[in-house]
Amino acid sequence: MRKILLSLLVLVAMLVNVFAMTSCNMFGSDDEENYEKATYDVPAEGYDGSAVTIEFYSTMGKKLQAVLDTYIAEFNKIYPKITVSHTSVGSYDDVRDQIKTQLTANNQPNIAYCYPDHVAAYNVAKAVVPLDNFIDSTITVTRADGTNETLGLTAEQKADFIEGYYKEGTGFDKAGTMYTLPLSKSTEALYYNKTFFDQNGLSVPKTWDEMEALCRRIKEIDPTCVPLGYDSEANWFISMCEQYGVGYTSLDNGGSFLFDNETTREFVKEFRTWHQDGLVTTEEIYGGYTSGLFTSTEGQRCYMVIGSTGGASYQTPPTTGDGVSLFETAMATPPSVDPANPKVISQGPSLCLFESENKQEVVASWLFMKFLTTNVSFQAAFSMESGYAPVIKSVQDNEVYKNWLNSARGKNTEEGPANITAMSVKLALAQEKAYFVSPAFNGSSDARDQVGLIMQTILVYEGDDVDGAIDKAFKDAIAECEYALG
Amino acid sequence: MANAKEKVKGWFIEGFVKTFIVAWIWQTFCVKWVWQTFCVKWFWKAFCVNILYKKFDSYKAWLYLSPAIILLLIFTVWPIFNTLRMAFWERYNMLQEIGGTLKFKLGFKNFVDVINYPRFIQCLKNTLLLCVLTVPLSTILALVIAVCLNSIKPLSRFLQTIFFLPYVTNSIAIGMVFEAMFNIVGYKTPEASVGIINTVIGFFGIEPINWINQGSAYWANITVLVIYIVWNALPFKILILLGGLQSVNKQYYEAAKVDSTPRLRVFTRITVPLLSPMIAYVVITGFIGGFKEYSSIVGIFGEDMQAVGGESLNTMVGYIYDSLARNQQGRASAAALILFGIIFIVTMINLGVSKKKTHY
Amino acid sequence: MSDTKKIVTMVEQDMKKVTSKQRIVKITVQILLYLFLCTMALIIVFPFYWMIISSLKTTAEYRLPVPTLFPRQIMWTNYLEAFTAANLGKLFMNTVYVGIVSTILSLVVTVLSAFAFARLEFKGKNTLFALLLATMMIPGELFTITNYVTVTKLGWIDTYTVLIVPFLVSIFYIYLLRQNFMQIPNELYLAAKVDGTKDLKYLWKVMIPLSLPNLISITILKMMGAWNSYVWPRLVANTDHQLITNGLRNAFTDMSGQANIPVQMAAVTVVSIPLFLVFIFLRKYIMKGVSRSGIKG
Repeated sequence: MRKILLSLLVLVAMLVNVFAMTSCNMFGSDDEENYEKATYDVPAEGYDGSAVTIEFYSTMGKKLQAVLDTYIAEFNKIYPKITVSHTSVGSYDDVRDQIKTQLTANNQPNIAYCYPDHVAAYNVAKAVVPLDNFIDSTITVTRADGTNETLGLTAEQKADFIEGYYKEGTGFDKAGTMYTLPLSKSTEALYYNKTFFDQNGLSVPKTWDEMEALCRRIKEIDPTCVPLGYDSEANWFISMCEQYGVGYTSLDNGGSFLFDNETTREFVKEFRTWHQDGLVTTEEIYGGYTSGLFTSTEGQRCYMVIGSTGGASYQTPPTTGDGVSLFETAMATPPSVDPANPKVISQGPSLCLFESENKQEVVASWLFMKFLTTNVSFQAAFSMESGYAPVIKSVQDNEVYKNWLNSARGKNTEEGPANITAMSVKLALAQEKAYFVSPAFNGSSDARDQVGLIMQTILVYEGDDVDGAIDKAFKDAIAECEYALG
Repeated sequence: MANAKEKVKGWFIEGFVKTFIVAWIWQTFCVKWVWQTFCVKWFWKAFCVNILYKKFDSYKAWLYLSPAIILLLIFTVWPIFNTLRMAFWERYNMLQEIGGTLKFKLGFKNFVDVINYPRFIQCLKNTLLLCVLTVPLSTILALVIAVCLNSIKPLSRFLQTIFFLPYVTNSIAIGMVFEAMFNIVGYKTPEASVGIINTVIGFFGIEPINWINQGSAYWANITVLVIYIVWNALPFKILILLGGLQSVNKQYYEAAKVDSTPRLRVFTRITVPLLSPMIAYVVITGFIGGFKEYSSIVGIFGEDMQAVGGESLNTMVGYIYDSLARNQQGRASAAALILFGIIFIVTMINLGVSKKKTHY
Repeated sequence: MSDTKKIVTMVEQDMKKVTSKQRIVKITVQILLYLFLCTMALIIVFPFYWMIISSLKTTAEYRLPVPTLFPRQIMWTNYLEAFTAANLGKLFMNTVYVGIVSTILSLVVTVLSAFAFARLEFKGKNTLFALLLATMMIPGELFTITNYVTVTKLGWIDTYTVLIVPFLVSIFYIYLLRQNFMQIPNELYLAAKVDGTKDLKYLWKVMIPLSLPNLISITILKMMGAWNSYVWPRLVANTDHQLITNGLRNAFTDMSGQANIPVQMAAVTVVSIPLFLVFIFLRKYIMKGVSRSGIKG
């Protein structure tokens, strides 16, 4: 009895305390309709040459870290007092989760690999440094060798960035505040079996209609095959939205979901018939990597794959025992609704800066970030090692890089082994005008997950009430997204 | 903003302190008064005979418990208190709190949100189903294996070593195996590879079953999960039960041998009762673990936690993870408290049953 | 006379029949036992086998849609690559250090607490125990953030302390040991008390030897915990203080954070070997059990 009374009392006392605080609403309303760019007070002296250590989080593996180390040494020749300590945290999600936790104790790194939706999350905590004031800064900084550089980006440096990549940094608010600089990018490409195409007189499809016709044709030639493998259902859906010019998501009201409309429902229904006719499969539906299907030597295979340029090496044609390629891989821009104005999704890491009490750390981090994104030889070396595309155009004038690009080969020949990676980077550089990114806000990754689910669910739907199933899938997805947004 | 944060923190610490002061005053004065007024005589008697001895005992007990309790206060109780705080702050978002844009309001909104989640019932159903299926199955299987291991002579060392192997197997490897075993690559095409499990059941003349791929049935998905979870849980349970069997006094068995009691009878009448504390332990912790099932589902079905085109296999803890990933710590905490309530009831029932059936 | 003899021989023959019948039953039971155990062992050991063969495959073979049960081309070079991977030696030593220290400290805390719960009488014992059990029911992920803030305030970031102290107390183990202690007859304790034996001496001389198998189970689990912990060390420790899994996960990843699984598996296999040897060594003690301790119930 005593125990019960005691615990009751404790409970009551707690509740009283809890509700005593209810009456206060201590924070003002947030400023949703503010279209002014966020700013950051860059110290007037720029970098004052003080010794600072900056922390850099990435997802780099061992080999890429070695490349990075080389260029940190280069950077230290210019700024010997800036110590860069870099950590490979794991996957992109690991980087995000780690930083989110560290933000609670104000222990975050200075620079990190990021995806747009990560930055949107960090922004809620007001922890990301807006870059505009740095980019536009005309403060002069003295290097160790006595030469000077401008703290900001020069006009040439700005123009050197591939536009689509650079713009990604502004997709976070309506004012277009710049929060990230691109580091290294991948995109989607169409890989096809050139040998098979040549043998049967097939041509590479430019539009989705051509793609359908081609798939049906291939299916006639090889009835057991699945002509096309598309790696990511979500990318497919988002790219289609962009190509049709219909909404996917927008930044209105802190994030809105527009992807439930006539056009999207129609193309999903259309792709369902493709799947039902055995023309296409995706990674999830197939149950394995579609690259495995593309390079398979026995049993079922596919002749085209639309997938990330980051995974290009997996599309290397298989060889016989004595090293002869069984076919030749070739690449092209994926089909579009309007071939004159193609749209391909842009992915891969950008860099963002975090707030720090020591402003010199932030300035030093900016200098390092600028170094990584604008240094031609680093961009070249990084691209060659990772298979990701560089973000500045002038890299293509670099001799070593040029040679590497020229080693792009779809199969082993006498001149050298197949190098699909170089081929993919070449293509990624060539389709620079076509890049787009979808808006990033808190909840944009849910939209991505949900449209992927719509594609999966509908493509494999086998009942009679297709329209009903589509209706349900879209409504569920929207409900889930809106619930997630809270 | 930091000021506001400090202020809030101050309130909580103050609230905490106040609560305990009130409780302490109540305990010291009220209780003493009641005791002294009504039980003085008895009190003195008790003090002389019993309390003195027991007081010493309890002083020792607290001394022994103190390291554990201090650590628990810092690393478990305080986080739980924080969880409570987040659960009752409407739409609590940790990043907003850091950024200072959190609209500070107390209430039950988070709980309402959790219950209003369109797939809440589905999550609950999956959680309960997995629990109810896996705990008895794994416990019985582990018990049988442990008893068998304990009753063989030749090869027993070798087999025991084998049963220890899973401990040094990396968890990544375990996830990969399951994917490989049940996965049907390119299902419904002439050359589909049907996976190892389907090949094995093919020997018994059973048609290949679509376990986890597109269009697979809910029961098939659940079956795979049950096998996976039981498999995962087995080594630990075998280890615990084997350890328990070793602690059991051999006399009972010798007595049974003299009486030439049948094996089954020895098992049900001697082994199980003598092992009952360990069985109770395995069942109760099994239930607690089962309610927290999550990683196995992601391991097999990926982040979206469902077979392509199938029913959602999400669980309560899956929901908590999702909410945490979206920075909705408020909802996550509320869901954790709801889950806590459910596990608490089940554990109380378990403890009640085990108290009756356990022989110490 | 002859009648009795006859009867005796008949009885003896009957007895023989019974025993031979029993023997047949016994042998069948034994065969069934072995069959069952071997099947279960096969199933249980499969992931281990998978770990080994994966470590010997090429990446391309690992990515094959239809997994192969035996590598087509055995890649010993995976092991070479694993050996040369960054800093694994240092991480290994860290893991051993953290594993041993936290196991010892945790055993002390656990034994003392379990003893208090199993043998001592104090006010609110059952309530406290129920409350402790209840703390197991909240998913631990919710604690991470708060604990992170706590250890930061304590200034423990980038130390070994932060890897050891927060996880010293496990209700899971206290509960296990309490159950074990309660199996030991109370008379022993009371008798010891009458003899004037100190609690700690009694614990050391009687309780601990009697519950050795479970203590070893706890040791194994705790060591394995150090081996497998990943998220927490990554969060609170720099590369000098991280543990083996951090190295294993990160040393072999590519740009997108995807692992080169065959090499990773090779590394996992290599670092598992010492652990495996320790277990084989400890297994002896689990199986020795209490048969020699001569305690009567």
